[in-house]
Amino acid sequence: MMIMKRISEWFEVRLGYKELAEKHLTGYLLPRNINAWYSLGSVLLVIFGIQVLTGILLLIYYVPDADKAFRSVTAIMNDVPYGWLIRMCHAVGSNMMVAVLLLHMLSTLFMGSYKSPRELNWLTGFILFNLVLGISLSGYLLPWSQLSFWATTVATNSAGAIPIIGDYLMQFLRGGKLVGPPTLGRFFAAHVALLPLAIAGLIGAHLFLLERIGVSAPPFGLKETKNSWQGDQFRHEDHPGGIPFFPDYLLQDATSIMIYLAVFFSVVFFSPNIFFPVTAFMPADPFRTPAHIKPEWYFLANYQTLKIFPSELLGLMVQGAVMTFLALLPFIDRGKERHPLKRPIFLACFVGGIIIYLGMTIWGHYS
Amino acid sequence: MQSSSRRTFLGICLGGLAAAGAATATWPVIRYLSPRSVEETGGKVSFPESDVPADGAKFFDFRGTTGVVVRTKSGQLVAFSAICTHLGCIVQWEKDKQDFLCPCHAGRYSPDGAVIAGPPPKPLPRLPFSVTNGLITVG
Repeated sequence: MMIMKRISEWFEVRLGYKELAEKHLTGYLLPRNINAWYSLGSVLLVIFGIQVLTGILLLIYYVPDADKAFRSVTAIMNDVPYGWLIRMCHAVGSNMMVAVLLLHMLSTLFMGSYKSPRELNWLTGFILFNLVLGISLSGYLLPWSQLSFWATTVATNSAGAIPIIGDYLMQFLRGGKLVGPPTLGRFFAAHVALLPLAIAGLIGAHLFLLERIGVSAPPFGLKETKNSWQGDQFRHEDHPGGIPFFPDYLLQDATSIMIYLAVFFSVVFFSPNIFFPVTAFMPADPFRTPAHIKPEWYFLANYQTLKIFPSELLGLMVQGAVMTFLALLPFIDRGKERHPLKRPIFLACFVGGIIIYLGMTIWGHYS
Repeated sequence: MQSSSRRTFLGICLGGLAAAGAATATWPVIRYLSPRSVEETGGKVSFPESDVPADGAKFFDFRGTTGVVVRTKSGQLVAFSAICTHLGCIVQWEKDKQDFLCPCHAGRYSPDGAVIAGPPPKPLPRLPFSVTNGLITVG
């Protein structure tokens, strides 16, 4: 023990880590009425970590060449020891990441945490959500299966509906007139380098904003639920008399992470093919379109929206408008009230939006 | 039970679970990264005897390394590991001198694999082979 104490002192006098720990862990106080939904950010960090780790492992055996990609993925699944586990964790993890991100954003909406002064937290989070959709889409092509090939064909085709630049944009995304080997090259670069770097950078910005502005208090269990921010000068939102991040809230984070991992591994071990239709096990054939090609579940609502509008452009415009509205919500919704039950119009839009999204997703699945 | 002791108990449980999970995950990752065993990379290599030219050599992948079969001036076939015993470069067959040269540090081996010059500490290991109906099988 003496040696441990001396090592600890050696670092302490050089780094002053006890002060850092006091500031960011034991002395970092959170609101007393904080709830489990606040731990979803930590769950997402763990998911991102698992995706990076399994992604690096897959890179060891994956070959980003249209002639070899499918065979290399098949070899990872069948020949490399535990390759199936690494790939399944990566594929299931990408779906889970989108699902947990949606829950994280819904809880932020429901509790009014996006309101001033946290507009930038919301905006960085919203951009992160879009980047995660982008990294999922680009990763979908890499196995070079019939599913990947044709889902990417359909997804990139939507860009062609944009007036004037649409056709050029579609060809730019694909690296040619149709999806082919050049598409694999650019999607691979985006998936393993560009997008992970962008996501990591934005996570850093998101966490910096969280730390700098302070954690919002949930509007529940309080007498005063209106936003107290005055907007005259910068103030870090403190929570005197709150609960410390370490050990109290870290245990909640750890509990949520364990619950997430239990669900995640249940899917990986007991229902691994939930995200893999038959076409995922057939090599890409550019001359044979499979029947009923559908995008991943998180794009089904977008897919169905495009189908129900008479023109693809109109469908894209509606989606663009909804996404722009959501991105700018903190700048549009300037109301002080944060409790959802005291915001009937917001609550109606919130519930209605979820019902429409789920309805379109289910409709898209069965259409 | 006081809340602090409940917290400690929960912390120990979660910490233990995390440690057990991390330990469990280590094995698949090690297996995933481990080089393939000899059984997985194939045991024997066969090719026609005509692939080995007169006075010449044929190099081939053998159990994850490189092997060489040489037909000497006397017409005799010999098979060796082509990995130089000095620092692991691949030796080259010098047809005119009838010996193996390692171009990295000028190690030389005789046609029977013995060191004749340079820094290699040991002879080239011989590989077992057989010739049946014009087919050479190494391993």
